[in-house]
Parts: sequence; C-alpha cells; structure tokens
Amino acid sequence: MEDPQAYIESGILEQYALGLLTPAERVAVEAEAARHPLVAEELAAGQRALEYYAEAHSRELPAAMRDRVLTKVLAQITPAAAEAPVAAPVAATAGAPTPSASLRADVDALARPQAAAEPGVRSISSAAAPTAPRRGLAIAASIALLLSLFGNAYLYQQWQGADTALVALQDTQNRVAANTLVVEKKLGEVKEQNAVLRDAEFHFVALAGTPDAPQDRARVLFNAKTKQVYVDVQKLSPAPTGRQYQLWALNNGKPVDAGMLTQAAASGERLERMKDIASAQAFAVTLEPLGGSASPTMPIQAMGTI
Amino acid sequence: MHHTCGLLRRLATFPFTVSDTLPISLPTASEEDLVRRLKARDESALTLFYDRYASALFGVISRIVKDDDTAEDVLQEALVKIWNAFPAYDAEKGRLFTWVLNICRNLAIDKIRSRQHRVGTRTQGLDDSLAAQRMPAADSFRPEHIGLQEVVQTLVPEQRQIIDLLYFGGYTQSEVAEELKLPLGTVKTRARTAIKLLGKLIR
Repeated sequence: MEDPQAYIESGILEQYALGLLTPAERVAVEAEAARHPLVAEELAAGQRALEYYAEAHSRELPAAMRDRVLTKVLAQITPAAAEAPVAAPVAATAGAPTPSASLRADVDALARPQAAAEPGVRSISSAAAPTAPRRGLAIAASIALLLSLFGNAYLYQQWQGADTALVALQDTQNRVAANTLVVEKKLGEVKEQNAVLRDAEFHFVALAGTPDAPQDRARVLFNAKTKQVYVDVQKLSPAPTGRQYQLWALNNGKPVDAGMLTQAAASGERLERMKDIASAQAFAVTLEPLGGSASPTMPIQAMGTI
Repeated sequence: MHHTCGLLRRLATFPFTVSDTLPISLPTASEEDLVRRLKARDESALTLFYDRYASALFGVISRIVKDDDTAEDVLQEALVKIWNAFPAYDAEKGRLFTWVLNICRNLAIDKIRSRQHRVGTRTQGLDDSLAAQRMPAADSFRPEHIGLQEVVQTLVPEQRQIIDLLYFGGYTQSEVAEELKLPLGTVKTRARTAIKLLGKLIR
C-alpha cells in the first residue's frame, strides 16, 4: 500500500475537491479515504476550504428572485404534474373535470375567462352557441393547449424520473467498484500469506516472551533459500507511545535489523513481510523508538532460535 | 424541454404565489434537519434550502456564467436537479454544501461550454475567460461578503487566478498550464498551496 502521506502530497485530493477527476478516479480516491483516516481528513479539509471560497462569493439576492425561482422550481417538481394525463382525458370526454389537488386551481383559472357557468366543455359540440360563435373554438383551443401541457408535463416528469434513477444507479455502481477494489486487495494479501504458510522451505521460529514480557508470543517464518522473512504475531503487549517493535536476526551472535513491525503486524492482524535476511540462527524483538535503531538499544521482549 | 418549462412557468405564475402555498419557514434549520426533510420529499424544505444556500450558489454560478439572467436560470435548474437527485445524496460521503456546489458548478460549466460551442472553438472561450480572469477582481465583481476581502488578502493574485480557472472556469490543470505557459507542476503547487491557505481561514 502506498504511503498515505505521499498520496496526500501528490495533489490528487485537491483535484478531487476541484472536481477535476474522472468518475473512476473519484472512486479510487474515495476508497483510499475509506482506508486512511489521514487521507479522509485531508480530503474533507480541501472541500471545506473550497466551500469557504464559494461562500466568499455570496451575492445578496433580491426578494423578487426568491419568489420567481421557488415558484418555477415547485411547478416543475410538483407530483401533481404526473397525474395530469389521467385527469385530462376525463375532463375532455365527460365534461366534468376531476382535476387532482393542486392542478385544480390551474384548470379553473384557465377555464374561468371562457365559461361563466360550468358547462364550458359541453359547448364545444353545440356549435349554435347564441352569444359568441367563436367561443367553442376558443375553448377547444384551450383544451388542446391543456392536453399538450399535460402531455409535456408527463413526459418531463418521466424524463426527470429516469434521470434520478440513472444517478442512483451510477452511485450504486461506484460503490460496488470501490468494494471490489478493497476485496481484491484483501484477497491478494490472503493469497500471499497462504503461499508462505504452505511453503515447506520456511522454518517456523517460535519467539517466546522474556521475563520482561512473559505473555508475548510470536513466530518468525524464515526461508533460508530465498532469504524471505515473515513475522506472525500471536500476542505482543501494545507498544507504548513513541515506541515501535523492531525485529532482529541474530547471526553469529550479532544483531541484524530485520525491519519494523507495522501497527497491523504488531497487533497480529496479518502476516507481514520483513527485510530479507541472508543468515540467522535466532530472531528477537525489542521495543525501539519510532522508526527503529541501527542496533538494539532496548531489552529483548521475545526471542527464539531456529 | 424548454417548451415545457415555458408553459409550466406561465401556468405557475397564474394561480398562486409562493407565499400562500408555503408555510413560513425558520431560517435556522440545521443541516441534518434539512437533509432529513429533503429525503422525506418535503417540498417546503426547498424554501429553507434556498434561504440557506441560494446567495452562495448564485454567487458561484454567476461567477461562472458571468450573466445574472443566465445565472438565475441555472440556479433554478440546479434546484430542480438537487430535488430530483436528492435520494442519491449520501451524507456520509460528503457535506451537503459541497454536494450542491458541485451540482451547480457542473450545470453552470455545461451552460458556458454549450454557449462556447455555439459561438466558436473551445480555445477561444478559454482565451476570453482568461482575459476576464486577469481583470482585477474589483472591476468585474463587487464583493458583498466580508469573506472575499479576506480571500483577496490571503491569496496572491497568481494563486487566485489558478483557483478561479480551475474552480469557476471548468478547466483542467493541463489546460491552465498550457494557457498560462506555466509548467504543470507549478499549476499543481499553486492550486495546492491556495487550498491550504483557504483552509487556514476557516475558524
């Protein structure tokens, strides 16, 4: 796994916050943030910084604009628009409109100027309307307009629905992709550990706790041919702050640095590959200052010979 | 779609006004409360949303499209989109404001791109935009928010220009580097430093 600090320094988090990444790259960044709290924190900080920048560009808005915008938005999202196509044919055929709740006002408002009384629709067929001969035509035209309006509203609603469904699907897909990445990485680790454990070339060296730490237990897996060294912790007392476990190979009585145990390795979460060692007769761990020492400076916590 | 919107707009202005269809709202709704109500498809929450975020969103949009009428259209489109896409919003993956900012920015950038597409090539658009960005901020934009003065004092003009092109212009880092004749590394460093400095302004 890449070093989270190097990942942060690479500048990809800023690109994420600025919206410059492709969806696949975004998923990768999100997966990285899910793994490393440090990355997640840095990512959130970048986003907050840009939120602040956006906020700094706030404009004072006229009250009239609030009404205009909200009225239009509500007209576009109101669910009544979807029911419209059902209501419309009824109104046309039966002549007794049964408009749905919030559209009733609209329909009434449109019908009012043409028809003083209720039977506005019936008068389409009665061409011999005494007062205004063109009235029938006008009503027919407004009904046609209403029908087209309802049709359009219906199609618009459908389109919006499809858009929402697509966004939701893309979101699910992104999440699945991120999960797959995580699972693949874990599978790779498990495969590697399995290969080591099944390899007959590996010597198993049990490390037992010294009187300083009698409870400590760990194993070193050492392959004299390939020089590979793995450490497998059963139990090590938690390292005090500022200290870290370091593995030593003892060759002819001389300690050779075999690498630092990460938090995951020291807590026994996984088998960890250490530095390659050419030759050793025993292994030991000590609690060194963070980052380790060139030669052991602290008492041995656990030790075992091959 | 434009046809439909026009009709709906005309219809909408007819029988009712916002004030008699919406309950009087408290301006101090918390973000969680707002998210919960929007998730519950509570239309009146849009008013709260508007009161809380519209001036910032409009500020960003108008900075991108550089025209208040277009900005108002984009804001309206964005609100509809936010409403429709809201079931997909995941509070655990990011704050509401970041999410809606990105929706607004994308819509606004799409708007200027389609405009540039009609007028001419992309490069011309970038040139125009760069010319606009080079102008001192005070000429093109009157800061009505104390925060902007802080920003101006905190970022050097070079950093601000790059953030503006990336955040308000919709350009990639390579496009900015090419256009400003700067190494890509310099663009990246300036963007990174600028964001870091902005982060320090937040108390």
